[in-house]
Amino acid sequence: MTDQADILPGTLDLLILKAVSLGEVHGYGVLLRIEEISGGALSIQQGALYPALYRLEHQGLIRSEWGKSENNRRAKFYRLTGDGRTRFAEEEASWSRLSDAIGLALSARPREAES
Amino acid sequence: MREEFREHIRMRTEDLVRTGLTRSEAERRAHREFGHVETHRAAARASRGLAWVDQIRFSWIDVKLGLRMMVKHPGLTLVAVFALAVGIPTGMAPAHLAEALDRPLPEDPDNRIRAIRFWNSGSGILALPTWGDFLLLRDELEAFDLLGAYAGSERYNVASEDGRATPVLGAEVTASVFAMLGTPPLLGRTLDAADERPGAPDVVVLGHDLWHSRFGADPGIVGTTLRVGRDPHTVVGVMPADFRFPLDDRVWLPLRDGPSTEAGEGRQVRIVGRLARGLDDRDAQAELTALQLPPTHPSRVSTDPRPLEVVPFSYTYVGLPRAGMSSLPEYHFMRLLGLVLLLVACGNVAMLVFARTATRFRELAVRSALGAGRARLVAQVFTEALVLAVASAGLGIFVVDRAVGAVPWHLIAGEMSIPYWVDLGASAAVLPPALALAVVSATVAGVLPALFITRGDIRGSIRAAEAGRSGIRFGGGTSALIVADVALAVGVIGFGVGIARHMTRISASDEMVGIPAREYLAVELRLSANELTEADGTRTGEAVERFAALQETLAERLTAEPAVRSVVFADALPRMNHRSRRARLDGELEAEPGRWVRVARVDIGFFDALGHAVLAGRDFDRSDAEAELPPVIVNTVFVEEVLGGEEPLGRRVRLAYGEDAPAHEIVGVVPHLGLNTVSRTGDPGVYIPGAPGTIHPIQLGMHIGPDPERFVPRLREIVAESDPSAIVGTPVVLSRVQQGDWYIVIAITAGLGLLVGILLALAASGIYAIMSFSVSERTREIGIRAALGASRAELARTILRRTAAQLAVGGLLGIPLATFFLLQIQDQNAGSDATTESFVLAVGLGLAATGAVALFSCVAPTRRALRIEANEALRAEG
Repeated sequence: MTDQADILPGTLDLLILKAVSLGEVHGYGVLLRIEEISGGALSIQQGALYPALYRLEHQGLIRSEWGKSENNRRAKFYRLTGDGRTRFAEEEASWSRLSDAIGLALSARPREAES
Repeated sequence: MREEFREHIRMRTEDLVRTGLTRSEAERRAHREFGHVETHRAAARASRGLAWVDQIRFSWIDVKLGLRMMVKHPGLTLVAVFALAVGIPTGMAPAHLAEALDRPLPEDPDNRIRAIRFWNSGSGILALPTWGDFLLLRDELEAFDLLGAYAGSERYNVASEDGRATPVLGAEVTASVFAMLGTPPLLGRTLDAADERPGAPDVVVLGHDLWHSRFGADPGIVGTTLRVGRDPHTVVGVMPADFRFPLDDRVWLPLRDGPSTEAGEGRQVRIVGRLARGLDDRDAQAELTALQLPPTHPSRVSTDPRPLEVVPFSYTYVGLPRAGMSSLPEYHFMRLLGLVLLLVACGNVAMLVFARTATRFRELAVRSALGAGRARLVAQVFTEALVLAVASAGLGIFVVDRAVGAVPWHLIAGEMSIPYWVDLGASAAVLPPALALAVVSATVAGVLPALFITRGDIRGSIRAAEAGRSGIRFGGGTSALIVADVALAVGVIGFGVGIARHMTRISASDEMVGIPAREYLAVELRLSANELTEADGTRTGEAVERFAALQETLAERLTAEPAVRSVVFADALPRMNHRSRRARLDGELEAEPGRWVRVARVDIGFFDALGHAVLAGRDFDRSDAEAELPPVIVNTVFVEEVLGGEEPLGRRVRLAYGEDAPAHEIVGVVPHLGLNTVSRTGDPGVYIPGAPGTIHPIQLGMHIGPDPERFVPRLREIVAESDPSAIVGTPVVLSRVQQGDWYIVIAITAGLGLLVGILLALAASGIYAIMSFSVSERTREIGIRAALGASRAELARTILRRTAAQLAVGGLLGIPLATFFLLQIQDQNAGSDATTESFVLAVGLGLAATGAVALFSCVAPTRRALRIEANEALRAEG
């Protein structure tokens, strides 16, 4: 896992919600999915995933239940709740605005700044 | 959570293995990548809002800390352990006793054996059924699959081959009793139905102890013959060592089928039954309630109805209502009292823990600053208190268990030891309540002070701690505790005073006995129980004749002995406990309750032999004893108290209930002759003449002179020669006849002394802790007052005012408590003036004792406070 960027503070919840929004998944699967959808660019410290998962569950944004993993072993699967979907949409929108704004700001040329 | 983490690490390992790592390397790496499991767990719990779980989680470090604290503060540990070691067993005692009485017989694991009794719930009078009742119940009841009857435990004379006879406790039982208990015999057989038939050969079953001690554990004893009472009996079996039904018995004879009698007639027996499978007490009771007893049955007398009841086995001996001890208000009062005592003890320990914790305030503040939450700190103090409480409970129970085993029960209960089915010792069953009480104690003694200390902004208090103050204030709870301490101390001292007065009255009665009790030897004589009665319960004429002959022979032979000055016979001798009866004068209405008097049946010549002439009227003569309605002689106290000083001679007195109860004529007056009185003026007494042979068992008294015990061997010889089958009790010097009572009184007094001591020690430590803290907390106030020119006396008054108020309120509350205790001890004849005196004495002593303790506790802190300089006080404020 070289060349990976540490995620920005405050974005872990968003990434988890995104990963879970793509379909029911277990904890390790969340990790793999984030890696996968970020093209291997984002790494999360593995143990730190769980406090965030439990926090989201406690907030009622995701729901968990025990089921069978692909290897037919017991695993806990997470899925988005209605509230979670709403929140995800809001966060996603807010992130896009922020990222657009930052992108715009960073792409400014000296001429534009003078005016 | 653990499982989820484990599964995560396993999946990661599998993935790493697939990338070409060896399994062990993959596992190591997966663990490393995951990070510290416990940290993530704690973070995860915190993110779920469950951080408090981590805070109050049990920790061995807290236990170790608790143990270290116990060692570090030995004074506190000593007082606290002492208080809780007394408090916890005291809190458990009433429930333990109730449980011991409700426990089924050891032979009855299914808890199906019950007793049937007559019981008047109003008067609490327990009556025994008769043989006739048993026959009726055996025919009618279906809720029991077995019903048995027995009569005992009486003394039987058992003679071995060498002719030596020993009185042995035994019972006459029906064969069904053995079937019900189901204990197999060690040798031979138990009794069977054939043994019960009239005319069947006389047989006996021996107890293990008797078989060992008297027959050398002879394996061939079954089939041999030995004399029980007068007649030879064939030994048919020997029972194992732990079989001692019904109380502590060692010999069993068949209870013979008497002639068929009506219910309510025949000899008195006790009835036991085994509930049929699937049926319970309610079914059995319903059947008993529906049972129609004949209208003439004694239990149906309108003034004293006694319905039939099915009860746990022990209730045939213990006068408890059917619903058990827990149905008595007194039981709940005792439980409450025990718990209050424990709570007061805990409260005081709390104060000490509080004081100790407050001195560790900086430690706690620093821990808090390092991230320990309030719950964590409280859990730590709770665990420390729990260590203390569990250690105390263990110690207390161990000591009580040992003490119960060491009590000389036979001295207290006379020759009868406690029943084999009563086990007051500690068992596994005491653990849950003991632990529960330990937890309650630790909660009161640990959690409350810790909550109090950690309330508010603990970190913000560090500065105050730096300035030498704890930043803690005492609230009203501590005042309430001191008030409770003082009230309880007053109450308990009241009880102690009552007991002390009771004791002095008993020893004072020594001078009221009227005879030199130290020079008298007394011994009880009786016949073997199986010689006394016919099957229908009447006294056999032969037994009366034999006993009369024995009495006359002994009188003759003993008087002839040079060592013996005089010989008396009675059912109770001076200094012994005489029976109580209610006496009504002739002419008093039926509804009158009458006065309690003491009654003795005495042989002709009784007063002469004791060296007392009749003061007025005449002594008994032989014809009096044989009269249809014998006259009586009363003592001077009777004349004073019952007759109000009126002329006694010729008056008539009834000693039984009912219009047709015989009215005995008073023919003489004698001085007071020790009726085991404990009142200062003595008891009213009535003497009834008894013809030789009619008083059974009888007390034989001999005036020997100094050291009367030297005559014992000769006495035994003479009795053995006169009637070898007579049962001779243990000869005692008359002045020591109450020794059993003394043991009880001494035990109670010692126990109370201990209790008072503990309460005072607790009150003292509590008052001291509070006083020294409140003074140090008021440093600034005192300093400013001093700076403003307050005199030392004024300052001292300010400090002591609160203590004085606490003492006063505690004393006031203690008064009703002391009154209650004193009323419990007042015996029926003591005048009311004794109450007032004892009462004033109790409250005075209680207040003086607690007041002294309080003042003593105040001295050091007050002196410290008075030395405080104004600028020092202001500096302390930081």
